Amino acid sequence: MEWLFLAVSFVAVLAAAMMLTRQNAVHSALFLIVNFGCVAFLYLMLDAPFLAMVQVTVYTGAIMVLFLFVIMLLGAETTTDTSGRMRWLGLAGSVVAIILLLIFAFPIASDMLSDDRPEPLDARAQLRVINAIPGGEAEEFTVMEMGFAMPLAGRVSASVALDAVDATMADSRIDGVIYNDSREAVRGYTDLAAGEYTVVVGVDDGSYVSGPIFTKDLILSPDSAVSLVVFENEEGLVDVSVLTDDISAPAVGKMRLTLFNAVTDRQVALVDVGQYTARRSLCEDASCNSLIPHRKLIDQLPAGDHTSLELAEGTYNLAFVDQNQNVLRTLADYRADRGLIETRVLVREPGVPGSQASYRAAVYNALGVPAFGSPESVGQVLFIEYVLPVMLVGMLLLVALIGVIVLARPDALAQAERRRINRRRRVNRPLVSVISQQTGSDVLSGDYLAKLTGGSADDSAE
Amino acid sequence: MNPIGTEPYIVLSMVLFLMGALGVLMRRNAILVFMSVELMLNSANLALVTFAREWGQVNGHVFVFFVMTVAAAEVAVGLALIVNIFRERQSINIDDLQQMQG
Repeated sequence: MEWLFLAVSFVAVLAAAMMLTRQNAVHSALFLIVNFGCVAFLYLMLDAPFLAMVQVTVYTGAIMVLFLFVIMLLGAETTTDTSGRMRWLGLAGSVVAIILLLIFAFPIASDMLSDDRPEPLDARAQLRVINAIPGGEAEEFTVMEMGFAMPLAGRVSASVALDAVDATMADSRIDGVIYNDSREAVRGYTDLAAGEYTVVVGVDDGSYVSGPIFTKDLILSPDSAVSLVVFENEEGLVDVSVLTDDISAPAVGKMRLTLFNAVTDRQVALVDVGQYTARRSLCEDASCNSLIPHRKLIDQLPAGDHTSLELAEGTYNLAFVDQNQNVLRTLADYRADRGLIETRVLVREPGVPGSQASYRAAVYNALGVPAFGSPESVGQVLFIEYVLPVMLVGMLLLVALIGVIVLARPDALAQAERRRINRRRRVNRPLVSVISQQTGSDVLSGDYLAKLTGGSADDSAE
Repeated sequence: MNPIGTEPYIVLSMVLFLMGALGVLMRRNAILVFMSVELMLNSANLALVTFAREWGQVNGHVFVFFVMTVAAAEVAVGLALIVNIFRERQSINIDDLQQMQG
């Protein structure tokens, strides 16, 4: 990798030097194209494929073609460069360049020599928490909070008493807090440096992570996305399950559906109920048992665990059923769009005690972390955070376009020049003097005047 | 991950920037001066992309995108000016352009 960088940068510097020293402007432009190509290659090495492509199309394509076009249009390939009196400028320029080099190089050199440089934050990972605790039965858990304490890794486990966790956390570094009070968090990933973490799941009661109810050691590998599903296990205790989200693109023409079963007291299966139309809109829970005749098993969902499956593009009627073939929840007209990555958590709804329990399949979209520097990530930032600058730059381009049209109007200069010449002629060369030159005698005397008005008025043109 | 650190890229960008500055100072051909300015813009872009990777932020890329757009507009207007100047004076030596000198 290093030799590649050295080779490319050497070519870039060499091309820049050649560009500066060529007398022929066309050669200079061609060497500049080589330089821009090298820079595009360096963009690729810097994880910026989108910019590399833009560099090639905009710079080496459009701008340099414009340069070459103008050079050849003007025929100015070999304009004599330095007139003698400006020779000293080269020397002065070199001196200024060396001074600038020293000024620029000083901070980098001093930075390279010092030892306590911060590590570059290149490896990132994503983490989110999914709250799948039935709200009605454990109201205090509707808001979850998590702290990350780096030095805790390996020292604290879930069995340690709460006081001990608090004491250890007091002198540890908290890296961040994920605050999740929503069951429909569409994205909700938190961006973290890859590494080892101890995750503390706590109840939010206004103070900071008071009373951690669960801690878990976690290794976040680079470019991974991890979901922590907090749910109630069979004994009614709070448990945390680590779900490593597969955020790579699904197979062509398919979507990836990850399902987590947070209803731990039942065996649940996902079935395809095929086409059914009768009272579909009314039938969303156990009441529609009799309406669904045909069932095809797609996958089993073990309690407190997840399963991941890929669905071909299309529209499905899906249902979650328990071991007695009772429908817990249906997903009518479920659209499987290609490339979609979705996580659904089946969770019991908080309901009125005594009534029949209802269930829901909360959606957690996983398609949230496009690769760094990809067109997708750049586009997201460009068109969400920087909409106004984008529009201003568009306006700038429009103004530049109009300005160029005005400047380059082919006859603007010529017309002005012609008008000026015409005016001068009319003033400087009176008609009478022209005619008297042609005829060799004084026009204003005799009967020439009558002849003129009759016959040779054409000569008065110019 | 990429084994090349941030510093080599910054040094390269610095060198390219200075070569561009030298070109602006030394060359008398207006088109070459323009090309040198493009070289300087490019080296600044390289530094921006390098720092964007260092901090894992895409904002640097967005900024490079804007710089490229502005550079495109600048080149279009500048070249139109050069064409007009050449039409009038048959020369694009910037030492000849002294009309506005006080």
